[in-house]
Amino acid sequence: MERRLLLFLSCFCVFTSASFLNEQFDEKLAIRPLPDGRVAATFVFTTILKDVHPRDPRTLQFNDESQHYTLFPLSLGQILREYAVSEMHLTLNAGNWNYDRWGYPDEPGVANGAELWAWMGVNQKSMEDEQWRGLRNALAGLFCATLGSLDDQRTTSPILSFQPHDSLPSFPSQNQSTSASSSSSFHALRHASLPSEHVCTENLTPFLKLLPCKSRSGLASLLNPHKLFDADWHGMGVHVSWISDEGVKLRLTFQTIMDPLRITQSNKRSWSLENLFGKGISQRCPVAHTSQIVVSLPRGDMYAIRPEPPRIHEGAAIYDLNQASINNLRQTSPLPLSIDRTLKGTNQANGYLSLVLTNRLPNDSLKILYLEAMPWYLQLYLHTLQSEVSPIDTSLSSDTQKEAKNDLFKLINYIPSIQHSRPTMLQALLTLPPNCTVTFKMHVVKSFLRYTEYPPDAQRGWDLPPGVLTLLDDVDGKGNKIEIGAKTNRIFYTRPLLVDLATPDFSMPYNVIIFTCSVIAFLFGSVFNLLTRPFVVVRVGKEKKEGDKEKQE
Amino acid sequence: MLDAHNVNQPPIDPATVFHQNTYLRRSIIASYWLVILLAVPLWWRTTSIERLSLPTSRVASQSESYLRLPVRLHLDTPNAGAASALQSLLDESARRDPDRWNGLDVLVSSTKINGNSGDSSYTIINSPTILIDGRKLYYPSNDLNALADVLTSLIVPGSHSYSIQRVAQYSPRYRLAFSLLNQDAAAGRPIVDWDITSAIDHHLSPIFTYLSTLHNFTIESQVQFHAPLAFEPRQLPDGSSALTHEQLTIFINSAEWSLSSSASNDPVLHFVLFVPSIRHSPLRILNADGTTLSPSNAFLLPQWGTIHLHNPPSNSPSAGPTLLTLTDLSQPFNSFAMQLLTLLGVPSLPPTISRSPHATVTTITQWQLDALMRRRALENSERAKDTLGSIIKLVDKIQNMPVGKEVRNDVVDALSELDQMHTTTHTSLTHTLEHSAHALTLSSRAFFNPTMLALLYFPAEHTYAVYTPLFASALIPLVVTTVREFKAWRKQRKQRGGVQEAKQQ
Repeated sequence: MERRLLLFLSCFCVFTSASFLNEQFDEKLAIRPLPDGRVAATFVFTTILKDVHPRDPRTLQFNDESQHYTLFPLSLGQILREYAVSEMHLTLNAGNWNYDRWGYPDEPGVANGAELWAWMGVNQKSMEDEQWRGLRNALAGLFCATLGSLDDQRTTSPILSFQPHDSLPSFPSQNQSTSASSSSSFHALRHASLPSEHVCTENLTPFLKLLPCKSRSGLASLLNPHKLFDADWHGMGVHVSWISDEGVKLRLTFQTIMDPLRITQSNKRSWSLENLFGKGISQRCPVAHTSQIVVSLPRGDMYAIRPEPPRIHEGAAIYDLNQASINNLRQTSPLPLSIDRTLKGTNQANGYLSLVLTNRLPNDSLKILYLEAMPWYLQLYLHTLQSEVSPIDTSLSSDTQKEAKNDLFKLINYIPSIQHSRPTMLQALLTLPPNCTVTFKMHVVKSFLRYTEYPPDAQRGWDLPPGVLTLLDDVDGKGNKIEIGAKTNRIFYTRPLLVDLATPDFSMPYNVIIFTCSVIAFLFGSVFNLLTRPFVVVRVGKEKKEGDKEKQE
Repeated sequence: MLDAHNVNQPPIDPATVFHQNTYLRRSIIASYWLVILLAVPLWWRTTSIERLSLPTSRVASQSESYLRLPVRLHLDTPNAGAASALQSLLDESARRDPDRWNGLDVLVSSTKINGNSGDSSYTIINSPTILIDGRKLYYPSNDLNALADVLTSLIVPGSHSYSIQRVAQYSPRYRLAFSLLNQDAAAGRPIVDWDITSAIDHHLSPIFTYLSTLHNFTIESQVQFHAPLAFEPRQLPDGSSALTHEQLTIFINSAEWSLSSSASNDPVLHFVLFVPSIRHSPLRILNADGTTLSPSNAFLLPQWGTIHLHNPPSNSPSAGPTLLTLTDLSQPFNSFAMQLLTLLGVPSLPPTISRSPHATVTTITQWQLDALMRRRALENSERAKDTLGSIIKLVDKIQNMPVGKEVRNDVVDALSELDQMHTTTHTSLTHTLEHSAHALTLSSRAFFNPTMLALLYFPAEHTYAVYTPLFASALIPLVVTTVREFKAWRKQRKQRGGVQEAKQQ
């Protein structure tokens, strides 16, 4: 089958790029055809603020120094400094990333809905929740998203799964004499996700305003909301981190999965920028240090690509809107791991949470960190956790599996929930034996909610955040296992779940009031009657022998 | 309750049974009422809204007492009558324009005032040249009328309503946001960076130092490369573009220029350096008549900030990106400095007066600073008293409004700040201003306290809907029985025969 890749870049105006001493902006668009005919497009906009440190939390109580930004967005910079954020990751996604068909995403944060995690510098222990609340409210205002509801009922600090991507600054103590003062400032992690958040244009508009060229020039002019929000999957991300010898790095990402067959209404898997995004690039961004479009070329298939790429490197055509450097490219290869998480059981009181993990590697076991941050209304019973290992191919020997079954769990970190306030956090280090499917099953109880805790659309159900699996081993193209560093861990998100909790008829409180009142009135009436009613003897005519007869006075 | 008796035995009279005793029955009924009466305070306490009493009388008395600030002038002249002549001239001026002199007591003396009050008094020294230095004014004292006019404009500088309206409301802290906006950087000749730190150091830091007793400043800056206008400027025949007066009012395109801040609540003053795109360059401002060009290329939006149009020199050789150096920025930042003074309400000196020789454009003399501080202190105390009065009125009017501890503490603290403000009027103007600012902050914090809104929208009908089914069904039998017993008791008293007969019927 012939695949045609048509690229129309209408204008390459080449200027000598502006050189800035303190800030640098790079933009990149990676387009990757997927095996199922869809096209993955990832925009990455990177701004580096050189030689700048995140705010020292000890200065939070004083006036902040002046902030001067050229390329870095001021509105985000203010928030980062106000709450002493050293590293922050916010993703807003719509749809469920299909790992089995689309492979591993270019940007790992693909959790459904909103996910926010941040490492903040904290000076006083009591201030960390204050800062977290401020941060999420400020971001909610900036991105027009309901991040304000990422409250304590959804917040955990899973330190194992969410290690900082880059380094965290150390805040050396000014007075060396006391060790207590040096240990008083530290970094705290907060993580929360909201799977029911719906991402739409109102979130994209403020996102585009953070870019130095907005959506008016450069690669960002392709970000056309009509096409993006029509895509099969789309998501945006804001990532701030600190690299010790470079400075503060801001990465704004937008990732989509588009279906050219559906968009072009043809039966050819051909696409162009014009029909994917509805427009081309007419102007380059004058302040971008590099801007490049990287297209992964299909392997083994026939293809045509226009215009002829100036450079082909490792199976990818690279177009520079400016002079560019070569970045690594990821090929879509089948992943060694397959995940499925479901909630079983039909009644409104209890059920089973089941997690099915499949390791497709023939010889190597996989180490996985499993994180479950479950809202309190679904209570996990850890002691009922059952695991079952079954080989994918029964003809293979099962000796290794039996061995593996004994050390399936290496480490369990469990913080139970508190009703109406704190979520459950379960972190576990799993070792998946090769060529096996491992099924975990756990009994869960669905709680009763207070009348005021029900959302307006209670009949719809409650969204449960996705489970997070961090693959601590990686696999190269030939299926061999590679040890990778802690900072390049691959994160997988399971599907979010919808749980059906016992939902009352909402006229209930008034019924209860009326019913209770009737019962009380009845009881009160009878007791009161018995206590205060006087009895008298009435003698009726001749039948004196008949005895007494009660009569109410 | 049927008594199963032997047929032959006479039945027991129920009135002799212990629990049918009239006295006991009546005490049971009375105890019900007693329990209800005892429960009422508890019920009242648990269901009533917390409304702490506010110091109403103190607020009322405070609103009666007006801040009077003394202004002491020392006329350094051998002529003894000059001081009283000047005093009467100034008093006359105050009578003519009482609003302008509101809250000020001017005292002219010819004797040297010593001691602690001496450092805040002004000295007028006879000198042929007109000059200001610190709190000293050198002025020829032979023309007292002219001197009185100059003193009037120094002590109570021109309070034209339009210049007052430009002044931003007092806040102890301002955020100064400097923005370099390229209308369309991609079209060519973008300005990609500016030497903002040295420009601020050079042009504005002196102002910050002078005003440090009044305000704190937080400074931030940004550069934007695409800041489109929401309208099309008028094209002039010579190819340049111009803004009409109507267009100035809609110049700020807040939908596209992300100028607002979400991290703090401090008031923001904006300083925008706008670079028009090549197509609209040069961009000028038309006069109100709509035909002639204004010589200025900056304009001020009252209480918001100021905009300076920067037209790059047309002979610049390259179309490439450029940087604005300190020299390029000197003209816009000079105008920013002047506009900042206007926005903060710093009065200008009368034109006849020259400053001390080592002063620069941004030097603020002690006379100006004192006049500003006096005006701000008067404004703050008025606003604080108004706010406190509004709180009292509001709480009185809306009976469902809860008044918590925080609100009461803030109100009490604001009142004590106002009291302290009155006691410091004769000692230190700086302290008076500080106390007035605290009073204002505390009173507005009390006014906007979110807890006061808690139960505002809970209607009384809900309460009745919940209570009626319970209370009606329980109270009716109780009331009926009580009435019946009461009647029986009255009947008993009428029949003087006594209890025995009544029992036997």
